[in-house]
Parts: sequence; C-alpha cells; structure tokens
Amino acid sequence: MLENTRRIAVALTMATALTAPAFAADALKVGYVTGLTGACAPISEDGLNGTKIAVQEINARGGVLGRQIELLVRDSQTKPEEGGKQARELAAAEKVELLTGVCSSAVLLAVNAVAGEFKIPHSAIIGSTQKANIEAFHPYFWQTQANATMEAIAAAEYVAKKAEWKRITPMGYDYEWGHTSVDAFVGRLKELRPDIEIANPVFTKVGEANMGPYITAALNSQPDAIFAAVFGGGLVSLIRQGESFGMFKRSNLVTLLTVDTLQSMGDAMPKERVFGIARAPFFALDQTPELAAFIDSYRAAYNEYPTDWAINGYDAMKFYAEAVEKAGTTGADAVMKVVHETAFDGLRGKALKTRAFDGQMNVPAYVGEVNFDPAFPFPTMKNVEIFAGDSLMFSEEVIQSMRDAAK
Amino acid sequence: MIWVQLVNGLMEGMMLFLIASGLTLIFGVSRIVNFAHGSLYMLGAFVTYALVPVIAPGTVAGFFAAVLLAGLVTALVGVAFEMLALRRIYGADPLMQLIITIALVFIIRDAVRWIWGANSQMVPMPDALMGALVIGDNYFPIFPFVIFGAGLVVVLAMIGAIRFTRAGILLRAGTDDRGMAGLLGINEKLIFTGVFAAGSFLAGLAGGMAAPYGDVNYLLDTTVIVSAFIVCVIGGLGNLYGALAGAMVVGVTKAMGVMYFPRLSMVLIFLIMAVVLVARSMGRQGGPAR
Repeated sequence: MLENTRRIAVALTMATALTAPAFAADALKVGYVTGLTGACAPISEDGLNGTKIAVQEINARGGVLGRQIELLVRDSQTKPEEGGKQARELAAAEKVELLTGVCSSAVLLAVNAVAGEFKIPHSAIIGSTQKANIEAFHPYFWQTQANATMEAIAAAEYVAKKAEWKRITPMGYDYEWGHTSVDAFVGRLKELRPDIEIANPVFTKVGEANMGPYITAALNSQPDAIFAAVFGGGLVSLIRQGESFGMFKRSNLVTLLTVDTLQSMGDAMPKERVFGIARAPFFALDQTPELAAFIDSYRAAYNEYPTDWAINGYDAMKFYAEAVEKAGTTGADAVMKVVHETAFDGLRGKALKTRAFDGQMNVPAYVGEVNFDPAFPFPTMKNVEIFAGDSLMFSEEVIQSMRDAAK
Repeated sequence: MIWVQLVNGLMEGMMLFLIASGLTLIFGVSRIVNFAHGSLYMLGAFVTYALVPVIAPGTVAGFFAAVLLAGLVTALVGVAFEMLALRRIYGADPLMQLIITIALVFIIRDAVRWIWGANSQMVPMPDALMGALVIGDNYFPIFPFVIFGAGLVVVLAMIGAIRFTRAGILLRAGTDDRGMAGLLGINEKLIFTGVFAAGSFLAGLAGGMAAPYGDVNYLLDTTVIVSAFIVCVIGGLGNLYGALAGAMVVGVTKAMGVMYFPRLSMVLIFLIMAVVLVARSMGRQGGPAR
C-alpha cells in the first residue's frame, strides 16, 4: 500500500517534470534503487529517510551548481534482477547522474554492473559486500561505509583484546555475507591471538526464527564468546532465545548491533555480556553541532532517532553534492576524480578519504558494550571503541591477489 | 546437551504441527492448498503483539488470553476469506485457487505493514516463563516446555473433537468422500467454512504462542509456510496423524542435524521428504486429488 502511494508520488513527480521542461532540464536526477519491500524493507526505509533530509537541505540552499536534486526512488523488492532492471531504466531513460540506496549485497552487485556499463557514479550506503570493492570493482564505484570484511576485522581486533576469552564459536547466516564475515573474523583473530581456540562455525538459514538448536550447538563447545554474523529477525531470535539457554551467563555475544536492532530489542536486551559492532551509532559519534542538527531534523520528520542507515544515507548524499560542487560538473570522471582526491567531513568523522584502487572510504567501525542509558528509550552502547578505517582495509596487494584469483 | 537439543526439536515440531495441521485439514476437506496459511500465522503473531500489553501484561494468564483472542481474530479473517472468495472457486482449476490464496498472502502482508510498519516487533515473554531449569550443565529453557505443553493440549483437544464430536464425524466424512457426504444431505458449505475457521484458528494460535520466542515481522508468513508444506508432504497431505509424525520428524531431525551434521541439517529434511515422495507418490493417504 505504501509502495503504491510512493509509486504514484514518483509518477506524479515525473508527470510534473514532463509538463515543466525548464525544471526537468535543470534537475540533477539521482537514481535511488532500494528494497522497500522484501527482507531489506526496514533498513531501506531508514536509508531513504536520511537521504531525503540531505536532499532537502541541499535543495533549500539552492541545490548543486544551481540545480535541484531530484530523487527517483525505485523499489527493487530486494530482488537482484528487479534492481538491475530498474538501474538500467534509470540510467538509459531517466539519465540519472548518480545511483545509490541499494541494500542487499546481491542487488548491489546487479546495480553496480549497470553503473559500470553506463559510467555513472554509484555510491554504496547500505549493502556492503566487499565483492564490489574487489572482483566486481569499477572506477565509478564508491563505498561510503565500512564493507563487510572491515566490520568482521574490527570485531576480531576487539575480541583479541579480551585476554580472558580463550575459546570462540563463530556463527553466521548461511550465505555469502555470513561466510565471508566469519572467514575474515577468524583469519584476523588467529593472527592476533594464536592462543585462542576457534570452534567449528555454526551456520543458520537467513532469518531463522527458531535459534534454539543452533544456540545449543554453539554453546556445546563451551565458548567464552560467540561471534555472530547475523542480523534482523534472526539476530533478535538469537538474543532472546540465547537468554533462556543461559548464553549470557555462560558466554558472551559479539554481533551486529545497529540502532534499528537496539530499538527492536528494547527492554528484552540482556543487561550485560552483549557486545555490538555498528556502522554509525549516533550516540557514539563525535557530538558535533551538525550531528545534533541532523538528529533534530530527523526526529522532527520521522519521530524516531536516526539509525546507522539513515546517517550513512545522509552522509553519502552530502559527499556527492560536495564532490559535484568541487568538480564544477556532474560528469562522472570529473566527479570521481574529486571523490578520490578530496577529504570529506561527515557525521561519522572528519577528513574521510576514498581509495581510488577499490573505491573504499576509510570510514571507521564501532564496537562497544550494551548499555541502558536513561536518556534514550532503548538500549545503546558504552565504552565504544572506534577502529579507524585504514587499519581495517585490506592492502592493495591483498586485493590485487584476490582479483587475480577471481579471474 | 543432547537432551536440550531434543527439547528444542520437539518444541519446533509442535509449532510446525500446529501450523501444518490446519493446512492439512483444509486440504483434506476442500482440496485447496492454502498458501495464505503462513500469513494467518503471521497475523496471529501481530494480533498477540497488539493485545499482550493490554490484557494483564506480564502474567501467564494474560499472555494465553491474548493468544486465544489472536486465534479467534485470525479465525474470523479465515472465515471471511472462505465465504467471500474461496467458496466461489471450489472445484475450479487449481491454478485459480493458487492465485486467490496468493492474493490473500499479499493482502495480509500489506495490511500488516500498513498497521504495524516494516520493523521487527517484540512480544514480551510472561515474567514467570523466563529463565531456565538448570540441571547440571544443561539449561532447559522454560518457555519452550510450556509451549510444547500448550501445543499438546491443543492437539489432544483437536483429536478428541475429530473422533468424538458430530462436527468431527462430518469432517471425516467430508475428507473421505466429499461427493457421498453431499449426497447424504450434509451441508458441504458448513463443513468447508468450519474447517477453514478451525485451521485459521490453529495458525493464529501458533503464531501467537511462538511470538515471544523470536521477533514478529511481516516476513514470517513465507518463512513458516515452506516448513509447513514439507511437514504436510512427509505426513501425506490431508492426513492429520501423518502431519503430527512429520512435524516431529522434521523438528527433531533439524535439531540433531545442527548438532551432529551441521552442513547437512537442512538437506536431511529435504532428503526425508524426497524419500517419502518416491515411496508413496501420492502421500500417505493415497489416491489422486479429487
């Protein structure tokens, strides 16, 4: 129903654009392909909401190079073939000058292929597969968040510092992301702490509702901590059911805790022994006036705190506008040149740089401990450690060898 | 640990049976494969989510009252669907039935998203059911035990009703030979509506009971329906006791598989299904669909 309203809204915008040629020629069209329905729905909506606030702010101060930004939103239904088709339509018929918004890794790779073919800058804000940086990389790709392996490596760095943890069981969703995360985590942890014993990983299907058997299997090897590359409904099940299996009495859990998950868990979150990896936790970022202003406008518009996805969407759109301003044109090569040469200030830190070799921005990853702060109506995290992006990124040599191996 | 895992398997089996029983009863009588059955489960979970904070929050009685009411709400939705849409297409092309039940999947999904949004929701567990029985090194969570017990009560009540009540006799007559039952002056429409109400009630009940254990989201519908179909196929579509056996086999196999053959746990279930399909190509009850 919501989608229909949105589709009608998009259709109406396009109709007005047709009847007002001056405006149509002027607007800077941004193709926003995202999974408003399907498994990605909740986080896709957050990313779009954050992006919309950035667009409003940019347009209110006169747009980019005097042109208003116009978001053309498409619902990929979290299906790669659908997303690819939509990106193609946006590129060929709408002549969009930026593609962004994609959530699922599979859709991201489909959209990224179209971006490469049409030579359109593509900025990744939710979907974070490292494949887009490695095998499927092209010079128009730009990853404005820590990619999947960087997050897993941050978790390994964090776990390595816990001297009292001697045995770890990795868990993950049984698909590409879950397996690469577990591999990256285990790889780095073995380097840092050869003494740690790593049990056989436990993989569950995506979104598994009954985690009981998997929890029992994971706890069977008596780990001091469980690392879980799991998100969304399956993660909520893991934590809630883990509680009744004594997971937080016998072990610790290190997993992805973005603000949306913290909000969903609410009071059901265990009081201790839960550690979270995050992409942009508003409560742990530098509390700058810009961040405060964004939180205020976000809360005014959507009546909730911005999630990691909203902040990423906002940052990425601001970066793009800045790059276009600096390049003095929307031409893809000129914009990407600026992207690779400029240090951007965002809500997640200052002087963030993008490596031309793989389009990876050196944004940090955050790992902390669950905390109940009375200032917020949901759990947050304390003692958040910020891992600088550069220390988490694979070196160019490693990436080159991975690219060669994939050929 | 093996005992804990057995409990996990039995509890999952019980939930699967509550869902699959409705699916199989409806198929047995009306020969309709109801794709929307998982949606009724999901709806039951959301109605429970809405009711739990209202009815004596935190108490066991309040929780089960909310679950029962959720079952009644889904039963009403099921009846409305049967009377407004399905009734017109009994005996029509199976493809037609497929399209109509899939339409209901989308209607319920969009309605739920419209009312409750796309985010995951939590149903608080009754305080008394939290925690675990600790025996030696083993934690036996209390909630799954209670759910298993509650499911058992429902199963016994259902079997009793089918064996010993007039409604049950009519239902068995309708399943065995619909044409003959009709010739004997039994009101077919009433049986269909009744079975649909009962099946929807069971689905809603299962959704509500399982709700506090994980999260409640609008994608539960398709998550659940696939497993329910596997159970029905193993047990023989239309065969209630077969579904009970199938559900327990699937639940326990999955749990033990995770522990001992982690890479094979899902494959094992499909393997069992394939073997059953080959061994009895028309399901346990036999005979082609009428």
